[in-house]
Amino acid sequence: MQTAELLLELGRWYLMAGGVVAAAFLVFGIDRVEPSARGSYAFRPLLIPGICLIWPLVLYRWFTLEKHGEDAR
Amino acid sequence: MSVQYTPVIWNRNKIFYDAVLLIAVVLYLYIYIRVAPGFEDVTKPIDGAILRMRAFGSCAFLMLTVILCIGPLARLDRRFLPLLYNRRHFGVMTAGIAAVHANYVLTWYYNFSPTDKYVALLSSNTNYGQILGFPFETLGIVALLILFVLAATSHDFWLSFLGAPIWKALHMFIYAAYACVVLHVALGALQGAGDPIFTSVVAASVVLVSGLHFATGRMEARRDRGEETAKASLQEKGWLVAGELDEIDDDCAKVVTLSDDERVAIFKYDGKLSAITNACAHQNGPLGEGKVLWGCITCPWHGYQYNLSDGRAPAPFTEKISTYRLKLIGSTILLDPNALPPGTHVDPVEIGEAA
Ligand code: HEM
Ligand code: FES
Repeated sequence: MQTAELLLELGRWYLMAGGVVAAAFLVFGIDRVEPSARGSYAFRPLLIPGICLIWPLVLYRWFTLEKHGEDAR
Repeated sequence: MSVQYTPVIWNRNKIFYDAVLLIAVVLYLYIYIRVAPGFEDVTKPIDGAILRMRAFGSCAFLMLTVILCIGPLARLDRRFLPLLYNRRHFGVMTAGIAAVHANYVLTWYYNFSPTDKYVALLSSNTNYGQILGFPFETLGIVALLILFVLAATSHDFWLSFLGAPIWKALHMFIYAAYACVVLHVALGALQGAGDPIFTSVVAASVVLVSGLHFATGRMEARRDRGEETAKASLQEKGWLVAGELDEIDDDCAKVVTLSDDERVAIFKYDGKLSAITNACAHQNGPLGEGKVLWGCITCPWHGYQYNLSDGRAPAPFTEKISTYRLKLIGSTILLDPNALPPGTHVDPVEIGEAA
């Protein structure tokens, strides 16, 4: 029982952290690292679930793209 | 990529595809829930919620099976290619159907207990050490999480943002999801009072998915071997490996150096390949740096033009340059280093499917 509660609590925190990353990325990050997204806004909410689920990977790509630019692609 | 992103790109083919898919899913669920129970053993009636849970679960399983078969089928036979193009809508729909299945489980089995239903789902059975009575739900949860991640990252944005290697590696997890679902069913539904139809459906799915992947793997290995032999025999005759198809951009050339004063420009244009000498007949300008228009190359220095298929300047001009023979084996370009007399016609190599 306790393990289950702990797992669910962890999952909740993970998704909440994902929500923060999603907000930051969609407001600041995406225009900086994804040229094709500039000026397109309608599709952005579509990315929120994905960012919440794999936000560590999103952060990793965000920083590599900031650092190395298009070479990292 | 300079195309702007939109939420979903639909065209007539995709709408047709999605419509057929939706109709098939609705039909399957309808038959499972409405029609099939009429043929069931009346002494063991199944409750409505359980029936719907099974309908959605088996539907998601079959959809996953089809998704995994499309890839190898398209590689075995090009006529399946149209199925491949819209696989992502298929995948998103599968994740949705599987979520409905899981939701039925949650609301039906765990809603009445005083504990939180998610806690109940995770803690009601933790006998991970045994096969019989294994908490197969956990395998379903893992599969569902994978399907969610794949569905959520199916937009074109993700392919570009994550980069192709990471995106592809991520989407390879579809196989892990399939394995989890097969185990989820094998350790769950199939352990009980076995339904022979469902058991054979699951067995057929596993045989089909692994059989198709095995067959495709063998076919590609055989083709690779054939290409290796063809390449080796051409090289024995003195042909050179000039490079790979994807090294050359459309309407541009790759310049291959044979000896210090001999360079060959291999052009890719209109789905074809042609090779001519890199040296312009006028003042040895670098033809490989020119651009192709209407099957003609224009020299970047003073604008002389030549047909790529025969190295002749279009009438009324009379300049001629050497041409070369090419062969395409798989995606590798091979070049006969012996120049043909200036103005000799060589049929361009059709790139065809390899492109
Ligand atoms: C949170 C995730 C999931 C949970 C909690 C869950 C739970 C269950 C449960 C309790 C059963 C009933 C077994 C029985 O009748 O003895 C079941 C059956 C089944 N599940 Fe899941 N499942 C989940 C995810 C999935 C996914 C993702 C798929 C497929 C893509 C799937 C496919 C099936 C199938 C095919 C059956 C057998 C249905 C039948 O008896 O005809 N499940 N699942
Ligand atoms: S060198 Fe090619 S046109 Fe003058």
